[in-house]
Amino acid sequence: MQAFDPAIVREIEKYTRRDWLKRCGGGFGWLALTGMLSGNQAAWAEATQPHNPFAAKPPMMPAKAKSVIWIFMNGGPSQVDTWNYRPQLAKRDGQPLEGFDKKTGFFPEEVGALMKSPFEFKQYGESGTWGSELFPTLAQHVDKMAFIHSCFTNSNNHSPALFMMNTGVTRMGSPCVGSWVTYGLGSECESLPAFIVMSDPLNRGLPKGSASNWGAGFLPSIYQGTWLKPQGEPIDNLKPPGNLVGNPQRAQLDLLAKLNQHHAQQSPAENELAARIESFELAYRMQAAAPDALDVNKEPESIHALYGTNQKHCAHFAKQCLLARRFVERGVRFVQIYSGGMENQQSWDGHIDLAGNHSGFAKEADQPIAALLSDLAQSGLLESTLVICAGEFGRLPIAQKGAKPGRDHNPHAFTAWLAGGGIKGGVHYGETDDIGFKAVVDKVGVGDFHATILAALGLDHEKLTFKFQGLDQRLTGVEHHRVIKEIFA
Amino acid sequence: MYNPNCAKPTTSAVPTKNNESLPAERFAIRRSLLDKEVLMIDFFRRYQRTNVEILTLVLAAVLLWAFGLPRIPLRADDKEAVVGPDRPEPAVIPAVPADHAQRMTDGLDQFQKQIAGILKENCLKCHGGEKIEGEFDLATREGLLEGGESGVVVVPFQSQASHLYKLITHAEEPIMPDNAAKLSDEQIAMIANWIDNGAPYDFALAANKPQKKSTIVDEKDKSWWSFQPLAKVTPPNLDEGKLAVGVRTDVDRFIVAKAKAKSLELSPQASKRNLVRRAYLDLLGLPPTPEEVDAFVNDESPAAWPALIDRLLDNPHYGERWARHWLDVARFAESHGFEQDYDRPGAWAFRDFVIQALNEDLPYTQFIEWQLAGDEFEPDNPLALAATGFLGAGVFPTQITANEVERTRYDALDDMLSTTGSAFMGLTIGCARCHDHKFDPIPTRDYYRLLSTFTLTVRSNIDVDVERNKKSPQMAQWRKEQDSLLAELKTYEESLRSDLPQWMRSVERSVKTWTVLELSEIKSKAGASFKKLDDGSYLAEGNNGDQDTYAIESRPSSQKITGIRLEALADASLPKAGPGRAANGNFGLSKISLAAAPPGAEPVALKIAKADVDFEQNKSNLSIAASLDDSPTTGWAVDPQCGKDHAAVFTLAQPFELEAGVPLTITLDFQVNTQHALGRFRISLTSVAEPLLGGDSLPPHIADVLAEASTPEQLASLPAEKQTALFDWWKKRDANWKRLQAKVDEHTKHEPSTKTNIMICGEGYQPMRHHTQGADFFQESYFLERGSVDRKNGVATQSFLQVLMPTADSQTQWQWSPPAGAKYSGRRRSLANWIVDVDHGAGAIAARVAVNRLWQHHFGTGIVATPNDFGHTGAKPSHPELLDWLAGELIRGGWKLKALHKLLMTSAVYMQTTTASADFKAQEKADPTNELFVRRIPRRLEGEAIRDSLLAISGKLDLKLFGPGTKNESSLRRSIYFMVKRSELIGSMVVFDQPEPLVSQGQRPTTTVAPQALLIMNSPHVRAWAEAFAKRVESTAPVTTDFQPAIQRAYQIAINRRPDEAETQSTVAFLETQSANYSQDPQYTQAVQANARSLALVDLCQILFGLNELAYEE
Repeated sequence: MQAFDPAIVREIEKYTRRDWLKRCGGGFGWLALTGMLSGNQAAWAEATQPHNPFAAKPPMMPAKAKSVIWIFMNGGPSQVDTWNYRPQLAKRDGQPLEGFDKKTGFFPEEVGALMKSPFEFKQYGESGTWGSELFPTLAQHVDKMAFIHSCFTNSNNHSPALFMMNTGVTRMGSPCVGSWVTYGLGSECESLPAFIVMSDPLNRGLPKGSASNWGAGFLPSIYQGTWLKPQGEPIDNLKPPGNLVGNPQRAQLDLLAKLNQHHAQQSPAENELAARIESFELAYRMQAAAPDALDVNKEPESIHALYGTNQKHCAHFAKQCLLARRFVERGVRFVQIYSGGMENQQSWDGHIDLAGNHSGFAKEADQPIAALLSDLAQSGLLESTLVICAGEFGRLPIAQKGAKPGRDHNPHAFTAWLAGGGIKGGVHYGETDDIGFKAVVDKVGVGDFHATILAALGLDHEKLTFKFQGLDQRLTGVEHHRVIKEIFA
Repeated sequence: MYNPNCAKPTTSAVPTKNNESLPAERFAIRRSLLDKEVLMIDFFRRYQRTNVEILTLVLAAVLLWAFGLPRIPLRADDKEAVVGPDRPEPAVIPAVPADHAQRMTDGLDQFQKQIAGILKENCLKCHGGEKIEGEFDLATREGLLEGGESGVVVVPFQSQASHLYKLITHAEEPIMPDNAAKLSDEQIAMIANWIDNGAPYDFALAANKPQKKSTIVDEKDKSWWSFQPLAKVTPPNLDEGKLAVGVRTDVDRFIVAKAKAKSLELSPQASKRNLVRRAYLDLLGLPPTPEEVDAFVNDESPAAWPALIDRLLDNPHYGERWARHWLDVARFAESHGFEQDYDRPGAWAFRDFVIQALNEDLPYTQFIEWQLAGDEFEPDNPLALAATGFLGAGVFPTQITANEVERTRYDALDDMLSTTGSAFMGLTIGCARCHDHKFDPIPTRDYYRLLSTFTLTVRSNIDVDVERNKKSPQMAQWRKEQDSLLAELKTYEESLRSDLPQWMRSVERSVKTWTVLELSEIKSKAGASFKKLDDGSYLAEGNNGDQDTYAIESRPSSQKITGIRLEALADASLPKAGPGRAANGNFGLSKISLAAAPPGAEPVALKIAKADVDFEQNKSNLSIAASLDDSPTTGWAVDPQCGKDHAAVFTLAQPFELEAGVPLTITLDFQVNTQHALGRFRISLTSVAEPLLGGDSLPPHIADVLAEASTPEQLASLPAEKQTALFDWWKKRDANWKRLQAKVDEHTKHEPSTKTNIMICGEGYQPMRHHTQGADFFQESYFLERGSVDRKNGVATQSFLQVLMPTADSQTQWQWSPPAGAKYSGRRRSLANWIVDVDHGAGAIAARVAVNRLWQHHFGTGIVATPNDFGHTGAKPSHPELLDWLAGELIRGGWKLKALHKLLMTSAVYMQTTTASADFKAQEKADPTNELFVRRIPRRLEGEAIRDSLLAISGKLDLKLFGPGTKNESSLRRSIYFMVKRSELIGSMVVFDQPEPLVSQGQRPTTTVAPQALLIMNSPHVRAWAEAFAKRVESTAPVTTDFQPAIQRAYQIAINRRPDEAETQSTVAFLETQSANYSQDPQYTQAVQANARSLALVDLCQILFGLNELAYEE
């Protein structure tokens, strides 16, 4: 069954304009509705029944990945200090970079000479993948990971680049990848949000542009990411007020259902009203399911040890990685975790003291990410979970001058890696020049990257469309983009 | 297009640069370019760009072949390569057959003899001649191979794989040639053969290449329904009889006439209780009180319904309800968005403008004009200025790198233009930024010319008197108090007037008055400057030298001088309030000397005989006498009596007759101590025989009056203004008058601040800056190819959409030139002029869009179901005649919206019941989406209306109008006063589908999701309102013994009706069980147990908040 036949999409759109969303209800899970398809095309009924924006939908093409965990390295980690080993850079250490355009980075007045990586590199795994000493634990998993060394983006500034990486557009306001994926595939889980976002819990701020990075843009707002508040109750209104806990609230909801059903019998909008009645029941179930998913204390000690939830330097990130696994296990479609806070020394944005900055954030992330890959692999979930790790851009091979040199923003090259969900392990795609400044071989734009993510989930980026402002909008826009099939197993 | 994946596999040949020991075969996907390939590809590209002659082509092709270019045919999914920022223009690199050199030669021959003719005759007009439809230009081979918006059109050497072939053979759509006969089989075969031979050209088909983009909008383009002038429509004449049953207004005639075709009739009228509730929710977004419901239900008059509508339209909360609809359209927010999302102080002024404009029924044309150009229409009207917040409401990056500045500015201009297009004209103009609009006749050229309207438009914060028109209660109270104080002063002045004659006759007056000397020049040796104050004194400012000398010159009228008075006056601006400039407020006058300097003669010194003083620091070196000796280190000083006024009188040795025109010079030396000059002083003269220290200082004009009239009788004969001048001076000496005046002054200081800092968006004000590396704004806008700032194509000057103009160059008829010296260009006013012009501009579509929005909010769906898109991709009107008639009514009624509301709401269509009728199923089958409007489907209220209703029901709603908003969800004000911060949208609003304020939104989706239910169930705010609601109920219906009265009351308040039998039973049972549980279960505290019945009522009240009937407008 083709879920996104254009004729069907047109029919959906017609309904969107008129009454569709109003009628289809929906929630964190889906609300069964009947009798709404009278008078509509058989094709529509066949393709979309049951009819609910969060109903799990079949992919457009065969695919292994069913869910996504995107570890967003916020601030833009340096490719030449992590996974893109460039021996020539060490050889040319201290030399000026001829013809360098000062506007490439953010600080045109602090342009220094080429700077070798302060980190040692060695080879790991059967694939012999070169990795720096920043990720000693994660490096044990290189044979599960596919590296794309030739990514580039369209902005040298955090928030436009963040928007680009998340939504495919440097301006704010377009739907992000997670929203498109939940729109395209629905959710496998009724009692949890389909798309969950976790940001830095150490008070170091949100990624620049904050909620617009997980916004639904012009897609219905139900597809936006649910941001777990790092402090306090992670989700609003999950706990009943004092005396209502338990029986009193149950009695309230029973009465409400009775009164609403009594009323609905007299109304021509009974389907819609029924959906609202059902939404209270779903909410009641969520009150139990969400805290359960969020309770990592239910994990055995061995798992805590694996992730490092009891180690001070990485406990916060370890908990988020562990939560990501618990969510995916329960059918959450898309999880995004931000490593690092807002910018500068709060994130991977190593303008000053690159060595100190990157060692610090790598120390937070190394063991938890490695644990996530191990854990998903041992439970078999890695087969169906696409793990993505990338930032919004890379960093320059030259130094940003200062007492402790850093590296400035570089839109021309960065490395992303993917694992699980049908990705081939231990492979490398694309190349930069020999100092890691610009992608030159098999360049991968953000649109290509997005097309590849969608393809791994069985979604065709040219057919996953939503009508807005008179146009069939796509995550990958109007330009032509290519799926990097070479990294698929 | 070159695709690196088509390159020959080179794994074994290419050492991986960063991994010498990488097992070569194992990682086969790592690729590299061979240098020679780079060379050849580059060569080939250049060839394609320049269209060099055939010999070069053949040579190139041979070379390419010799060097082994890829031979793998293109796969379908390999068509496109990645295009990066620093990548050259993509070009098609075909697979080249072995005999291609020969083929190209043959193909060229075909081109000359046949193909050029066929293409010219059948294709060129639309694809490179007059227009470039679908961005496909086949006038040159370069264009042919570049393809169009649908991708590659011709694959050289492969006719069967070429899209063009499929189109001309009609195997695929759109069939070509468009709107013309299919090419003959012979012609098709020739083209195929030519493509198989490489599709060579040897000349361009169009001699003078047209503009890259089509610029012509023709009559066919203008024939689209929404671009047409308004049709002259008269409401259908129904057969008066069966059909006209239930018809109340002309609106009904259109609906009934159309429904007749499907044999459908209007549904019956709703109950009066439903109607009154519907009207309140619709117009105010608040439920009526039980009393308001009763009043309407009991009013049997047929005029009750229109009268109710009038009343509600006059209610100030109408503006709040309907402003929210417009704020969605205006993508209104109060922060910049992007990285920091800084707040925009004063941005709420735009929200207040919308509310006020609706409440005052501002004509819709003015509503448009002010939002686009309030500063150009009425630069002094705060409301018009606030309206321009419309243009500035879009997002605004605050951190911009040098190479993003220009693009960011175009983004901002695009936001203004796109929103203007969607909001007022229902057109997706923004789609034409990178290419001609794909569906509507809006060429990119029109886009940039329209965009240039906003080139100079910037956000600014300015202080304006927004309260001016608001007549706030605080202002009224202050005015009342001020008037009373002024009246008291005035009364006293009148009583004082009778004392003036007595003063005039007094000895004090005759011997003690001084005439203040006006100084023509004061030169300070140390460089101080002097400011003249109202009382004739002078205040020293600027440099305070260690030692100073004031050389003073004056030219008084001719007079006898017997003495001179020097007043040293305190002043708040001086150290310790003066009167000196020393740090302790002291001064040290070491010497005073006087002289008269007749022109051409030696100056005559005026000898001082003696001095008198009110206070001197000591009797020796700092006495007044010391100011007459020649020692520079002794002189008059006043410490410790600083901060007070002092005076010294110097009596001349003999009277001096000063002649007119002779300058009098006075020299004041300050050398007693460092920086001890006098800070504020006044000099007066007298002619009395014995000058005395005290006495008034008469300003010269008052001295003149008194010289003319020394008695009250003489005064009475003087002109009134002289009498008044004397009295006005004289009254100020009076202690009681001074006291009363001080009260007035003090109260004046507390005048409610009427200046408010608001955000506007206009021209010529101080622009709000970005954090930018370089300039933020530019003086010109350019035509940009493909929307890229790197591809400028000439300066764009203002014009409007050709499709809505009589001719392509008739823009001047709306263009307005501002008066000389104005700080704005007039371009936005020109744009507004065009938009509101019904006869020749966009006025017809603007009126249609406006009435459609009103219809949509009253009936659930617009006559055009896509309120922001009246173009080809939008919905067509379900009732085009009705739409045009309503638009005409709007215009005929002076563009007043309130009249239109009433017109719609008094129709039988509006008044239909939402109760399912017997033939509901049949209706639904005949008209599933209710396009015919012959039934009314209950509508879920917006989040704002639901929250406001809960607050109103709880009795906690704060109905204060206007002013800055808040992000605090516990606020008790209406939801429209939530501050809209883009990164911190209000959770309870978002969960109920309030759209993200990023682009114009004409309609909201209505979703039903679990978080909405969680909000009702668990939000502490909702719980608090439920508690207040229960208290309100208990105040008239206590639950001590019986629950029923409370249930009745709660139903009346919440949903404006009594519970029926079943509902009463269920709720009573619930309350009994719930209260029994609270009172008996030991887990609850004593407080809970004691209040079990009230607590149970709170639980019920909260549940009533969850009733569908409350959340739906029926």
